[in-house]
Amino acid sequence: MGRNLQAMTSSAVMYARNKFSLIPVWLWVLQIVITSFFTMFFFAVMADYVNNPDLTVRYVVIGNMVQSIAATTLFSVADIPGTEKHTGMLSSLVQSPASLFSIFMGMSMLNILSGLISATLSLCYAQFIFGIDLSAANFLSIAVIFLITTLSLTGLGMAVGSVGLRLRTSTIIANIVSYIGLLICGVNFPISYLPEWVQFFSYLNPLTYAVNATRGAADGMGIAEISGDLTVMVVLGAAYLLISFILFSVFEKRMRDLGLYDSF
Amino acid sequence: MMNPRWRTPTCILQAVNEVNIKAVTASFRKQAIEFLADPQWIIPSIVAPFIFTVVVLMMYPDRSGTVLLQAILGGGVLGMWGNTLFASGYSLSYDRVNGTLEPLLLSPTNMFDVIVGRSIWNTFIGIVNMVFIYIFAALAFNTEMTIADPLAFVLIMLVTLFSLSCVGLIFSVTFVFSRKSYILTGMFEYPLYVLSGAVIPITLLPEWTNPISMMLPPTWGVEALRASAIEGYSTVFGFGMWGNTLICILVSLVYALIARAVMSRIVREVQKTGSFAGY
Repeated sequence: MGRNLQAMTSSAVMYARNKFSLIPVWLWVLQIVITSFFTMFFFAVMADYVNNPDLTVRYVVIGNMVQSIAATTLFSVADIPGTEKHTGMLSSLVQSPASLFSIFMGMSMLNILSGLISATLSLCYAQFIFGIDLSAANFLSIAVIFLITTLSLTGLGMAVGSVGLRLRTSTIIANIVSYIGLLICGVNFPISYLPEWVQFFSYLNPLTYAVNATRGAADGMGIAEISGDLTVMVVLGAAYLLISFILFSVFEKRMRDLGLYDSF
Repeated sequence: MMNPRWRTPTCILQAVNEVNIKAVTASFRKQAIEFLADPQWIIPSIVAPFIFTVVVLMMYPDRSGTVLLQAILGGGVLGMWGNTLFASGYSLSYDRVNGTLEPLLLSPTNMFDVIVGRSIWNTFIGIVNMVFIYIFAALAFNTEMTIADPLAFVLIMLVTLFSLSCVGLIFSVTFVFSRKSYILTGMFEYPLYVLSGAVIPITLLPEWTNPISMMLPPTWGVEALRASAIEGYSTVFGFGMWGNTLICILVSLVYALIARAVMSRIVREVQKTGSFAGY
């Protein structure tokens, strides 16, 4: 346990150091600022244009506020194994005594931070740029939702990334899973618009519950009133993390046994 | 002394004359072979435009033929945008990673011609998104769509493809210039989706953004495409279908000229200093 924590901490530091040796911090922040704003802007303008009585600008803006976490954290976490494979670092990581799970969890820390920054910025955009009335909102509930959403989507990202370890690359699957939330999680329109078989997948994604809880918190609901959604998010996040732990362990053992490393 | 009024057109003609068609064709073919060997890489480039378009379609309360057609056209152009931004930009980034950037810069073939071939292929393959959106719309909404002027539509589609390739050139050039350029690609993706008016009508955007939209060649291409596909469509900035097509060509040529000038400057500089991949 102690060694795993140490591996996690050192990989978190190394990942951040590598990232910021390639790009300056201000450029990293600027990317988050611009991406989260324009995604929200795109759908807010559309909501205004399509004139659908179900979809107000408020509905869409709040949905995209939470979706911004998926666009940053989920994608970046899921893409880590693929990036390591692409840059030729995976074989070195597999040969190290630290477990792949701890290393990749450590690398996810910066992406958890970027998800929280993105969601906080989106909240500011919603209130100050898009003029969404949040006077009745329960900001403590919103903060708890953002934190739990980021952690549960990290779990989902780790699970997707572990599958990507077995594939040639994880970038493709990471892209699909991180964007599909826009379509199936009730971000821009109610999930009742979707065919029933698609709705099944909506309920497997923590984002669906996060969006629902945030809409409630924006209307003033406290933590007790949204506890149902929060509980499901925690359970789903833990389940995905467990799946990723098992898959990383299985694939890691197989890679070592067969000497396949990054050609796996 | 040349009359300054004629300098710009002469400059364009000279630049077009200097393009090495053989190098462009070879580069186009090589990019196509690389893509066909591993076609899955189209997915990261077009997944966002595809999902954006499908979400937009789902948001409409009434999905009639015209709405669907507008969304398909917009989605198709977004797909070409996405692929142009990522594939054109990253192609030189991969050269840097694979160590082929130095031989490319040192070869007697003009680097610009190599990038032109790659950009044309990358934009062309982005049309796949339009096909995906069309199949999705046909299966999900079961609505018939007809193109008002099919011949003009095909011609304008080629012009739009050319215009996006020219934008791709600019992005490619920045990738030679700096390793940090991939961040720019990520940053520009969404603003360009919004400002080009491919899916969101430009009239809905704040007025101060209109000059930026006008500076983007695909804005004119999309308008011309809509005018050719939808009976009685009146273009946002006026000028009609062929006027928009002409402006699209002119703005694209300006992009190509800028990219060519910047590329020549960078190549000269790195050859002089020997900085190459570290540049």
